[in-house]
Amino acid sequence: MTLVKLREKILLVSPLLIFLGIFLLFPFIVNILYSLSDVDFKTLRNINISGVQNYIKVWKDPDFWQAMRFSLKFALFAASLECILGLFLAIFLSPLLKKRSWLLAILMMPMMVAPSLMGLMYRLVLHEFVGPVPFYLWEWFGNSPAFLGGKNLFYTLSVIEVLQWTPFALLLFYVAYVGIPESIVEAAHIDGAGRLKLLQFISLPLIFPALLVGFVVRFIDSFRVFDNVFVLTRGGAGGSSKACLFIFTNIFFNSAK
Amino acid sequence: MKPFMHGLRWLVFLLAAFTMNFPVIVTLVTSLKSKAELSINPSLLIKAPSLSNYQQIFNMADRFDIFSILWNSIIASLIGAFLPLLVCLPAAYAIARLGFARSWLLPIVVNLRAIPLVIFAIPLYMLFQVTHLLDTRLGLGLILTLVNLPLTLVLLVNAIAEIPKDLDEAARIDGASTRHILRHVVFPLAWPSIATCLVFGFITAWNEYLFGLILTTRRAVPMTVGASFFFSASGGGVQWGVAAAVMILGTFIPSLLGIVMYRRISESLTSGAIKG
Repeated sequence: MTLVKLREKILLVSPLLIFLGIFLLFPFIVNILYSLSDVDFKTLRNINISGVQNYIKVWKDPDFWQAMRFSLKFALFAASLECILGLFLAIFLSPLLKKRSWLLAILMMPMMVAPSLMGLMYRLVLHEFVGPVPFYLWEWFGNSPAFLGGKNLFYTLSVIEVLQWTPFALLLFYVAYVGIPESIVEAAHIDGAGRLKLLQFISLPLIFPALLVGFVVRFIDSFRVFDNVFVLTRGGAGGSSKACLFIFTNIFFNSAK
Repeated sequence: MKPFMHGLRWLVFLLAAFTMNFPVIVTLVTSLKSKAELSINPSLLIKAPSLSNYQQIFNMADRFDIFSILWNSIIASLIGAFLPLLVCLPAAYAIARLGFARSWLLPIVVNLRAIPLVIFAIPLYMLFQVTHLLDTRLGLGLILTLVNLPLTLVLLVNAIAEIPKDLDEAARIDGASTRHILRHVVFPLAWPSIATCLVFGFITAWNEYLFGLILTTRRAVPMTVGASFFFSASGGGVQWGVAAAVMILGTFIPSLLGIVMYRRISESLTSGAIKG
């Protein structure tokens, strides 16, 4: 491979580097400059550095910490629930899915829907007059909570997130689970391991890396979630309850005041 | 015991499939209810199915031009699917085969996935203002490219690493240039992964919302943002039937692609997640 000169190697990565330079490095530098200066929408193009006061301001802002806490709690809760449900479904349904793999396509459907549209769909699902969930709750129990209000908001958002992304965990764990070599399972059988023992000592340890990856990926994605929360809570209570929303509303609404 | 467990598994599957797809089912049902039925029947059963909501969408081109919005999404998503490939393929070759820039470029791009891109909203807005890319399909496509970079690069690096080394070494000894190898050895052999990248990138691009919201206003509005127009007329003014029909149209293309390609997508999604 010494045949390839350094110049050529650089040439190979240059399209990617140029793209990253424009769309990543530039905004990154501008962001740092902005964070150290006093700007609003009218003075975007002339930056005057004025120190770290913006950081101090954010540090002292209780709304920021509240948004951070909400995001952390949300991400932890949603990712855990997704992994638990995904793991259960992956293992319990694996005999079914092995024979009929097209069933996976049905379970994967929610992942293909845009999170923003998913959020809008839930506005329909949970709507007090046209939504079927409140309708059936009234029909069966004679009561229906305010899903997007007060304390319920956290759980409503979490359940929505979990229902859309449990398929991801399920898929990841299923692929890892069916990838366990048959010989290991058989050897454990011969040694007299029952179903539970097999799961505890063979299957779960072997798919542990996948579990970890699934949790981390889902945690990150839930932490930075924006679309569905935005379309669901815009204008309503708790508008800046999430970290990303906090950033967004601060940029586009507060500065416009 | 056996048939009982089998039945139980089916039951759990149906329950999971129904619950997770519930919003889509509700939206589909709602989109098929007439306006009169909507106001009296919020249940999951339709008494008199009608396509009037869909007709209404196609007849309101003066206020909401569904075709041009779909077209915006298609063009921007195509750019967002193909451009990452063009940008990443040579780099992926350098990383996977020549071991170049592996230690820093790969982590930088992969970690992009963990960053909430909203933090770049202001500088990118400014950049687009100066370059007149605001409210254009090309501008939106460029940002969608940024969104798709991490997964594309990881998938391509994996795909190229799996190609037997002998093949491109033989080509090189025969005097083929790197460009030649990329086009005639790597591209055909990595084609399954490339196709997956394209489809998955297209779906991801189609489903993006935030940058569509920030960077487009009228001419280049994508489907995800267009659908939310029906809700921003706040108060009680939401036409639920029409809104539901628009959401179904917005979900149709990515879902279809997902169903057709589910096997490859599930493989690449999981490999991308593991390596990433």
